[in-house]
Amino acid sequence: MRIRELYLKNFGKFSEKHFYMKDGVQVVYGENEFGKSTLHAFIRAMLFGMERGRGRAAGKDAFSRFEPWENPGYYAGVMRFECGGRNFRLERSFDRISKHVSLVCEDDGEELSVEHGDLEMLLGGITPAEFDSTVSVGQLMARPGEELAESLKNYAANYYETGGGEVDLSGALDELRERRKEVERGLKEEERIQDEKRKTLAQERAYLERDLNKLREEYEEKRSAARRAAREKEKRARQKTPDQRKKGERTPERTREASKHSRGYERNRNISGKGTATGIRIPAGVICLILGMLGILAGLVMNKKSFAVSAAAGVIPVLLLIAGVLLLVSGIQRIRRAKTEQWNDGEEEREDGGEDSILRELERQEERLRWEMSRIHAEWKEKQVRAENLREQEEEITRSDTEKNLLKRRQALLMAEEKIRSAAEDLGQQTSQLLNRRASEIFSELTAGKYRGIEADERLEITAWDGERRIRAERLSRGTVEQIYFSVRMAAAELLQEEPMPLIFDDTFAFYDDKRLESALKWLSRQDRQVIIFTCQRREGEMLHEDRTAKKGIDDHQ
Amino acid sequence: MRFIHIADVHLGAQPDAGAAYTEDRPGELWDTLEKVLKICERDQTDLLLIAGDLFHRQPLLRELKEVDYLFSELTHTQVVLIAGNHDYIKKDSYYRSFTWSDNVHPLFGNRLGHVEFPEFETAVYGLSYHSREIGEALYDNCTAEGLQRYEILLAHGGDGKHIPFDRKALSESGFDYIALGHIHKPEVLEKDRIIYSGALEPIDRNDTGAHGFVKGEIRTDGVRTEWIPCAEREYVHLRIPVDEKDTFGSVRRKISKLKSEYNNKNIFKIILTGTRGADVVFDTGRMDDVGNILEIVDETRRKYDLERLSRENRDNLIGRFIGEFRDCEEGSVEELALSEGLEVLLEYKGRQI
Repeated sequence: MRIRELYLKNFGKFSEKHFYMKDGVQVVYGENEFGKSTLHAFIRAMLFGMERGRGRAAGKDAFSRFEPWENPGYYAGVMRFECGGRNFRLERSFDRISKHVSLVCEDDGEELSVEHGDLEMLLGGITPAEFDSTVSVGQLMARPGEELAESLKNYAANYYETGGGEVDLSGALDELRERRKEVERGLKEEERIQDEKRKTLAQERAYLERDLNKLREEYEEKRSAARRAAREKEKRARQKTPDQRKKGERTPERTREASKHSRGYERNRNISGKGTATGIRIPAGVICLILGMLGILAGLVMNKKSFAVSAAAGVIPVLLLIAGVLLLVSGIQRIRRAKTEQWNDGEEEREDGGEDSILRELERQEERLRWEMSRIHAEWKEKQVRAENLREQEEEITRSDTEKNLLKRRQALLMAEEKIRSAAEDLGQQTSQLLNRRASEIFSELTAGKYRGIEADERLEITAWDGERRIRAERLSRGTVEQIYFSVRMAAAELLQEEPMPLIFDDTFAFYDDKRLESALKWLSRQDRQVIIFTCQRREGEMLHEDRTAKKGIDDHQ
Repeated sequence: MRFIHIADVHLGAQPDAGAAYTEDRPGELWDTLEKVLKICERDQTDLLLIAGDLFHRQPLLRELKEVDYLFSELTHTQVVLIAGNHDYIKKDSYYRSFTWSDNVHPLFGNRLGHVEFPEFETAVYGLSYHSREIGEALYDNCTAEGLQRYEILLAHGGDGKHIPFDRKALSESGFDYIALGHIHKPEVLEKDRIIYSGALEPIDRNDTGAHGFVKGEIRTDGVRTEWIPCAEREYVHLRIPVDEKDTFGSVRRKISKLKSEYNNKNIFKIILTGTRGADVVFDTGRMDDVGNILEIVDETRRKYDLERLSRENRDNLIGRFIGEFRDCEEGSVEELALSEGLEVLLEYKGRQI
């Protein structure tokens, strides 16, 4: 491919400006601020399009950087080029509203479609990244905080490791690792959820177990109580019959009968005696009291009549009174005694018929205990089934679908990493030899044979071989490192690209000494490619003019 | 003789049903059973056949009382049930001791037993699980004994660990109707004759599609059956295509719209397919507006034109990488690894170094 014309309709600082390119090496000289970088960016934008970025980065991207100074709504240009013997006109406008692209073959007027990949095909499938890392050469830009040699190493690593500069291998692997970490975080979270579920179930089951234990204890308690009651009942039942038997053996039926009789008789007697005694004594006492009082009254009335009579009449009532009081007191005492006796009698009686009622009571108690035992057992069984079901449920908590998916994804990410590595290794081995050989040739020529070659070891440390020693990149001068970089790029461009694209250098040679610059230009002019050198120095142009073998360069933009 | 055949009611299960429905779901299983019983009562159905797994686990006594009470309310319908692998008759199962209402006829033996209904000229045969798994093909030797004019087999299982059976043997067993349970998806093995009614309600998140029961009638001129949907909810897997223009919000809206088209009372698994913008993040946790999404699987950017890609990348890492995965199966880890790897490689192809 050869660029014929750059027509910047409105791009960056340029408006309605034509730049005509020729074959071979040409130098575009311009002082600082001339717009070299703008031209360089224009070529890239024409080849690959240019979109406004999104987000925060948008402020610094190429789209914003080269947005026309005047009339930014009109942001467009044309590039004419020759490719495979045919001429094309590529037109693009970049601003959002009138954004469009057209590609026409100028020889036959055929309209091609960029959207359908016609341009890509003309360019041999080169991607923007490939373009940037091979044919479009700036100064080797060390990233901030990165040593130059390190930067070179990263750059070269990509070729040596992957055999092609298209994919940022370490970036891709980092991304895969990052994804894997995220998946692992998700897995942890999922495990936590599962654990939580399991814990809840286990807790519920623990409560049930506790209840079950309590029920078991309660059951045992009731059971031993029931046993006690049963034993007691049996004992009593046994006691009752053998007691009776024993008594019968010891005291003949008769005596027992007799004693019972005598007791009965005594009681009867007591009761009847009590009845008569109290029955008579109290009324008799009352009568005596009344008679005594009446006698005393009468004595007092008849006092004056006769002393003897009155004395006798005075003594009798007093005696009667005394007798009445005595009778009353004894009567009341009797009644009291009789009452306590009666009470004691009742006691005796109850004790007697109580043996049966105690047995009945024990039976009731036992029955109640048995009933409670069966209630407790029923409750226990229900809870036992539930606990068993919970245990089952716990066991069934297996990996959730989400967890399975995450596990699968983790496995896949690991596999992807591994396969990318092995693919890269394969490819790297194949191409790195070719790349090494070709880059070494170029580097050797640039350094006029001072170095025989360059090499990347297994750790991708780049060394230069001077025939005796291997010198590590970080110990080489900046210019030499840049030349290694140049050599690797050129070798890669040759090896990897189907369509020979123009080589574009943007202030690339600033650190080259005259001798090596001359060698570089000599090498470039031998290539069957268009070479465009943007520079702010006059060296390149002057050297090319001196060099007879070089095709005539142009520096008509001074 | 008119019958209703249900199976796999799974009372007592706690199916995953999304944030909104999970809590009520166990109750809904009972509700749907009641719905069927109401239909039995309304239609004065002769037989209600329950082909196993009435309960999800060992039934509690109160659950048995509950379900027996519901059965006892049927004024005409006779209920025949067997125990399946979920509610198998354990050593101390309440099934062993429970006294059922007069119209309920369990066939709880571990060998084929039967119950006869002379009033319907029907005999129902069946056996129950006494362990969680039965590898023996117990049904293959079962034949109708000709005790009644119409003979029905109630059977549960059909996979390797749960009484595997030979369809042909079943077909030649002489039964007029074979009511199958265990497989949750309704399936007709032989028209009007050997049928999985499917679970009454979907229990597992993969029980997609409609669920219900079989209603049938056996007459002298043959059996006619009809499958009747009656489940309260369905598990629906929705594939939602996404493209580069979609954002989190637009996808959320798409999901919401499609879900309500399918009826929001259902429970969804969403699978996002297609391609999406590189810088769009789908926060799947925030996409569930109703609380009826069980899972969102993000399968976007997983389909590549491998042929084109490997042709275009013949000599580089991407082509080689694709080459490592020749003939990988769909859904395999390899396929996923391929798409994950490709996604990253394509993203990092074109990065400036």
